[in-house]
Amino acid sequence: MQFKNFLTLEDASRDELREVLDLARTYQAGHMVPTLAGRTVCLAFFEASTRTAVSFELAARRAGADVISLSEKGSAIQKGESLIDTVVTLDALGADAVVIRHPSAGAARLAARYANAAIVNAGDGCGQHPTQALLDLHALSTSLGDFDELVGRKVAVVGDVLHSRVARSVIPAFRAAGIEVSLVAPNTLLPSEVGAWGLPILPSVDDAIDWGAEVLYTLRLQRERMTSRSPRVPSVAEYSRFYSVTKRHLNSGVLVMHPGPVNRGVEISGDVVLSGSSLVPDQVASGIAVRSAVLALAVGATEKLAA
Amino acid sequence: MTDGSANARIGAHDDLLIRGAHVLDPASGLDGVADVRLSAGHVAEVGENLRGTRHLDADGLHLFPGFVDVHAHWRTPGREDEETIETGSAAAAAGGFTSVVMMPNTDPIVDRPVVVSGLVRRVERESRVRAYVSAALHEGLKGERLTEMRLLKEAGAVCISDDGLGTQSAGVLRNGMLYAKTAGLPVILHCEDHTLATGVVHEGVASALAGVPGSPGSAEDVATAAALVLAVETGAKVHVTHVSTALSAALVGFFKRRGDITADTTPHHLTLTDEMVGTLEGMYRVNPPLRPNGDRHEVGKALKDGILDFVATDHAPHVSEEKELPLEEAAPGFLGHETAFPALYTELVRGGKLSLSRLVEAMSCAPGRWIGGGGAHGIVAGAPADLALVDLSEEWTFRPDTLVSRSSNSPYLGRRLGGRIVGTMVGGELVYDGMGAKFEART
Repeated sequence: MQFKNFLTLEDASRDELREVLDLARTYQAGHMVPTLAGRTVCLAFFEASTRTAVSFELAARRAGADVISLSEKGSAIQKGESLIDTVVTLDALGADAVVIRHPSAGAARLAARYANAAIVNAGDGCGQHPTQALLDLHALSTSLGDFDELVGRKVAVVGDVLHSRVARSVIPAFRAAGIEVSLVAPNTLLPSEVGAWGLPILPSVDDAIDWGAEVLYTLRLQRERMTSRSPRVPSVAEYSRFYSVTKRHLNSGVLVMHPGPVNRGVEISGDVVLSGSSLVPDQVASGIAVRSAVLALAVGATEKLAA
Repeated sequence: MTDGSANARIGAHDDLLIRGAHVLDPASGLDGVADVRLSAGHVAEVGENLRGTRHLDADGLHLFPGFVDVHAHWRTPGREDEETIETGSAAAAAGGFTSVVMMPNTDPIVDRPVVVSGLVRRVERESRVRAYVSAALHEGLKGERLTEMRLLKEAGAVCISDDGLGTQSAGVLRNGMLYAKTAGLPVILHCEDHTLATGVVHEGVASALAGVPGSPGSAEDVATAAALVLAVETGAKVHVTHVSTALSAALVGFFKRRGDITADTTPHHLTLTDEMVGTLEGMYRVNPPLRPNGDRHEVGKALKDGILDFVATDHAPHVSEEKELPLEEAAPGFLGHETAFPALYTELVRGGKLSLSRLVEAMSCAPGRWIGGGGAHGIVAGAPADLALVDLSEEWTFRPDTLVSRSSNSPYLGRRLGGRIVGTMVGGELVYDGMGAKFEART
């Protein structure tokens, strides 16, 4: 399998997903595997991020890479340098991989057209967030035993699908892994042609449990969806009544996932986040190994590992 | 009319036979003299020579499924000086109505679950007819923030509406329709563009001659067109209320097969025109305003053809201080319950413009189906005994002393009307007795 860029998981195959997760397991087994020794990974974050930036930086360092970090503040990005110019500059400086976070969908794809370096999409607008979906699959398959255990499982994706890049990666990746997916959201938080995905649309978390969900994958609801002049959701009270995962849902043995950051009391109640049913810490922990694997595959540095 | 003790109640083991009425129920295809036996609040059977422990002779009368009004203002809470649940429901019963939807533009506005549940409890105690709560679509009817529709529905609301005001932003309305679809609630839309509706009557010849500021028909048509486009796109269940112009009726006709769309018009838009503007009397102010005869004619034709699904009264009581004013200062709105059937029967059925069968369908069957939920509505075995007994031969003058509503702002006062409600039953209980002793059930 040849990986160059990690831009989207829309067309990911089951074998491709398995290859990334298998490699991630190798990284997880040994702490420091210097496959990226002598390589330069550049983090270009055009949008604020804490956990994804830290996770990528650790992933690159643990794999032995030199890391350059450009954040919005204190760089040419703040001075208004364009995405393309930034990428071309990093390329010229000899970056092997450029990890891009950007507020607009399609930014990573655009960057890839101008770069010789491998481009890894760390989240672009409401478009894609491929490494999030990969680490989710890693956390879930580890919890269930192995990758093949994912087949036939039922996962309900709950919340603001419309504005979620996580959902746009998770939905196709989970389906490619053999998982049955349903969506739980009001029509105001779903794309208008959501029917094209061919997924069941359920009216509440309770209905998701009735549907047989084994995993509730909750999405963050941004406050402004409820507080703008004409909000998409009337109130926290109504949203949480129908879309919040609470302790009573855990009776069915369901697992709970969330890409973070969590709005406690909105899409998930505080006592659920750190409960035994929660995979949230596993998701975060999976991020480093999965991103090391992604970077290694992107720069074609996996041979050292095999050797 | 608040004394319910004279009502003939039908006990669980006590059948009542309504004998010899002309039974007309377009939904079940009944149209002829028949006996109807009621038992335990429901229709037990329809046929010839039926037997029952008690009977009621209805020779010469017509028996219809009770009328259904999806648009009424009972002014409760907040303006009980104009109407209460008690008086509004008594007026409805006097008009042959057995089910009514109450609009949310009260004080406080019905935009919170606690207001809905309070109204539902009060209806159980105070209403003579089945009364349903419409909650607001937006907080404060302001056309901005969505109400907690799903919690409102759990509290008992059957639909949502900002009636009295149009939603001015198409983006806001679209968002509301999408959310209403998730909540599973139909949206009743008062279509009015307030940037166009700056007058107090229809802008036309009559307003020009009278010197009264008018609002053009486009104030309704532009908003109706936008609402229908959004209804088609979102797939929400949308009901356009009080359609009053030829163009809006045509727009409904164009769009309705493309979406989940229904529409109504009112008795006054079907029977009165903007000629009344010439009187300059505040009584005749209503919103949407009375239109020219051409509009009235086309709206009537749309009702006949089923483009407009049914009639709703927009029963809107006002104290006399708000109506006995110059047109420009008067509050808009007419009473509607008590005169709806007689006015439409007189003007449209006797005038040869509408069949009696279509009128009954438009006042009973179609709005009954729209409210749904309560099972079958009609004169069929198993359906609740919600019935209207009507004397079509009666000629009468609608006078203030016959009014049941707490208010008296009816444009039909002093008019000769044909056809009169003589009895209304809800769940087998006689909630309106217009004939006194003549109507007593005999054993």
